[in-house]
Amino acid sequence: MMSSVLLALTIPFAASGVVLIIPNKPRALKEMLSLLAAFATLALSLSFYGRPASASFDWAGFGINLSFRVYNFSALLVIATSFFAAMLLMYSCVFMRGRENTKLFYSLILMSVGFVNGGLLADNLICLLFFWEALLFTTYGMIAIGKTNAFKTATKAFIIVGIGDIFMVVGAAICYNLAGTLRISELHIDSIGLGALAFVLLMIGALAKTGSMPFHSWIPDAATDAPLPFMAFAPASLDKVLGIYFLTRISLDIFRLHQESWASYTLMTIGGATIILAVMMALIQKDYKKLLSYHAISQAGYMILGIGSATPAGIVGGIFHMINNALYKSGLFLTAGSMEKQAGTTDLEKLGGMATRMPVTFACFVIMALSISGTPPFNGFFSKELIYDAAIERGTVFYLAAIAGSFLTAASFLKLGHAAFLGKASEIRPNIKEPPIIMLVPMIVITAACVLLGLRSAIPIRLILPVLNGYISAQEPLTDFAPNLSLIAITLVVLTCALLNHILGVIRTGSGLKAVDHIHYAPLLHSIYDKAEKGIFDPYNIGTGLVKIFSVGAAWCDKAIDRVYGSLIPTAAETVSFAIRKIHNGSYKTYILWSLAALFLVIIVMFNGLK
Amino acid sequence: MNEKILLASAVFVPLIGSFATPIAGKISERLRNGLSLALVLLSLVCACRLIPTVISGRVVNLAFEMPLGLNFVITADCLAVFMAATSSFISAIIIIYSFDYIHRYDNRNEYYLMVTLFLGSMMGIVFSGSLLFLYIFWEITAIASWRLIGFFREKQFVIKADKAFLITVFGALAMLIGFIIIYQSAGSFELADIKKAYTTSHISSLALILIMLGILSKSATLPFHTWLPDAGVAPSPVTALLHAAVLVKIGIYAFARLFISTMSISYVWEMIVIGLVAASALISAGAALVETDMKRIIAYSTVSQIAFIFLGFAVNTEAGVAGGLLYILMHGLAKGGLFLCAGIVEQGTHTKDITKMGGLIATMPVTAVSFFACALSVMGVPPLGGFFSKYLVFSGTINAGHIGIAFVFLAGAILTILYLCRIFNSIFMGEAKVAPAQEGSWLMVSCVASIAFISFLAGIYIRYPALFASVATQQMLGR
Repeated sequence: MMSSVLLALTIPFAASGVVLIIPNKPRALKEMLSLLAAFATLALSLSFYGRPASASFDWAGFGINLSFRVYNFSALLVIATSFFAAMLLMYSCVFMRGRENTKLFYSLILMSVGFVNGGLLADNLICLLFFWEALLFTTYGMIAIGKTNAFKTATKAFIIVGIGDIFMVVGAAICYNLAGTLRISELHIDSIGLGALAFVLLMIGALAKTGSMPFHSWIPDAATDAPLPFMAFAPASLDKVLGIYFLTRISLDIFRLHQESWASYTLMTIGGATIILAVMMALIQKDYKKLLSYHAISQAGYMILGIGSATPAGIVGGIFHMINNALYKSGLFLTAGSMEKQAGTTDLEKLGGMATRMPVTFACFVIMALSISGTPPFNGFFSKELIYDAAIERGTVFYLAAIAGSFLTAASFLKLGHAAFLGKASEIRPNIKEPPIIMLVPMIVITAACVLLGLRSAIPIRLILPVLNGYISAQEPLTDFAPNLSLIAITLVVLTCALLNHILGVIRTGSGLKAVDHIHYAPLLHSIYDKAEKGIFDPYNIGTGLVKIFSVGAAWCDKAIDRVYGSLIPTAAETVSFAIRKIHNGSYKTYILWSLAALFLVIIVMFNGLK
Repeated sequence: MNEKILLASAVFVPLIGSFATPIAGKISERLRNGLSLALVLLSLVCACRLIPTVISGRVVNLAFEMPLGLNFVITADCLAVFMAATSSFISAIIIIYSFDYIHRYDNRNEYYLMVTLFLGSMMGIVFSGSLLFLYIFWEITAIASWRLIGFFREKQFVIKADKAFLITVFGALAMLIGFIIIYQSAGSFELADIKKAYTTSHISSLALILIMLGILSKSATLPFHTWLPDAGVAPSPVTALLHAAVLVKIGIYAFARLFISTMSISYVWEMIVIGLVAASALISAGAALVETDMKRIIAYSTVSQIAFIFLGFAVNTEAGVAGGLLYILMHGLAKGGLFLCAGIVEQGTHTKDITKMGGLIATMPVTAVSFFACALSVMGVPPLGGFFSKYLVFSGTINAGHIGIAFVFLAGAILTILYLCRIFNSIFMGEAKVAPAQEGSWLMVSCVASIAFISFLAGIYIRYPALFASVATQQMLGR
């Protein structure tokens, strides 16, 4: 069994290597090979579920083992990862055609799948970190393949996520110090004192990977710079899968998050803030991809809020939401890809009336937009309701953040859909039509999954429930997630308000794109938005600014030290030798005087000594 | 007996053989190059052949009696063999790289003489079982590096070579006085005798300060580090050899040899050393972010990374020491690779100013990827080997209870990411600012590619170096 588990890593890695070295032509060869590897991994991972296994190999000593463990949660997520990889590779086969470096792109995607699977299956903190951090360079590579200057965004992503990873390294070191083991399934640490520090460090890493605030700012940049399938692949699905997986593991297994703990409140606050702030930014975007990218951040807030609530409903809701979000968010990015491929732009000012040109894409978009807005009966509705339940149990303010987020999400998708698909038909390109069938299939499959997970929401919830084993005592009824009817009613009212808000906005401005201008240009908000758009609040910009000040200071220190060697010591040496040269004036009288003085001194010392 | 021959030839063959290289050079270029490589490879093979012996816990000793406790002793234990194997391995790659790099410049005979002599005296240092001979070999490396840094005989370059020489030699003289103080109390220069004499007591503060002056100046640690960036005027294989892979590790080796496996230092001094290297890590990393000369950036990075190695040793915990040893290996490889890549770039573009470069990945893909891989290893990003060494150093620091220090070095590690991203992006990404440079010769390129690949393998197969390092650690800590 274990050897087949290792195949979940080796198949993608091997395929990634082979894709890189095979010749560029025929084009189909590398495409077929990548697809084959992705579907093989998917088929393999399907066989994992319900068949727990574990294996461990000696590695670097000091508690570091190469160990893997398959159990229901990791198996479920490996299936999800492999599924997304297969869908996105299929889509990329057509989408990436005619671009440079496609081979490298496929290779990096496959490699990432291997790393993500490794991270999900790892049962040793350092082993997990090994795969987790290795994603840094695949991320860098996949973004840098994009536009000419995409490397700047790639660096930004590398640095932000890399910093999170280093925090995790230190966190892991603390865990080893406290528990004497790095084995995740055996790690149980009280979150007090050093333990609390370790939790915070590991949490920072998990949040940075998930893309929550304040580690988010590379995602919108990547939306414009990176190749589109990357967006659907990393920030929309795999990063979330991995980040939320780890957040769950540390919150439930390693540190046992308690409801009244500061950690729980911290997580919920971060979650709530991320929801609101990111969706506020999403609302005013005028680019299809960029708008979606802010939602990729905002939705992470819901997951973190859910898990941070430390209630069964919240945790299950958070994980369920993670899967749902991965589905509809990657699917939505794929619709953006259709737009980019067929219409040549994702600028909402230029798009319009695409519903008739691309009916299938439009249908997929509508379903997934309804899902992300939390409309019944689609999947997003069920996970969001669970999170609302948890939020209101823990504090009204968190619920308000979540529900306000829903309002704004719905409003921004109404705007997006209206601007892109309805309204006056745009004439940027003649004969815009549906993308090729290979691109449509992944979209349709993902959309279907959104519908299925909504209509049969009990199944995924039942699959996720075992995550709580050991966290919640056995007496509590685990399956009792009765729908809270009053909350559902509020949700429906809020969604209706969003629709009314949109209609009102359209009537006022006469355009779908400008439907939320009354929020964008509201008195106080307007100036904040301007600053945010300029990147003044971007933590990355603030951080690099501070580092620049520090490094100038450090360089000054360094130069000052160098001056000691470069001028101070030589000057001192010269001064001394100059003085000595002066004294040696060649006159015997002086020399005799010195000698006498020295003799005198010697005599005094000797006499003192004799006494 | 066989092991004693191995040990003696690891030291003396390159040391004495180096003087044959200029003679060989009179006959033919190839002969000289081949001889130089053969001498280094022989050291490598001898060191590797000693590995099974020392791993099993045995120590090989070779002594020549001399009066006044001035016995000449060479000893092979785990630490010594680890250092010897690491440095001769990296040196061998650098010599192969030199074949193509150096052939276009004058003074080639001197170059190979000095490089081989340098490696031989490095072997002398690591195997030396006596403080006095440690000092002698130490000074030979200083002379060799002085000639090598001033390899291009321009006036400014020679001044910088002098600076490096003067700082390290003055440090070494201070260290010699420290050794004499130890001699006075232990009655011998032999490490084994000193160890017995100091089983219950710490080393005296005066001796410690004097010896640390030597160590810090050789290992380019604040405030004696400024010669290292200046020494970037040397040819790239020299900077790789001296300033990344081997020379700067001498001081660290001496620290490990003297203050971990032979004597112990008091808690106060331990904290002072840690504080000093913490400042060194941050200030040099900050300077690396401002600097625009690519070799100076890498040199500052060396200063900063050396601090991590010192930290591992100074905290004196098992994980820390093992991490420090692995760090020597991983950093030596990766930093050597970075300097060699910089050499290819410099020969291609005829500039060292990163603000004047860009977009070279298009014409130098292999160099770019190798550079990136080596940079990842220095940053401590898996799957490269640097990940494990960095983690173990952090782990050791935390096991020793220095949480605050761990955070200072965490900041240092973040700065490492920043300046390495900066240098990689400015050289290889973005718009091309100079005429597109071609990839270096296949020999040079394959050298850097293999260094990158070995760094990668060292990460995947970390088990073997880690096993060696942990046995060495246990031997050093006497557990």
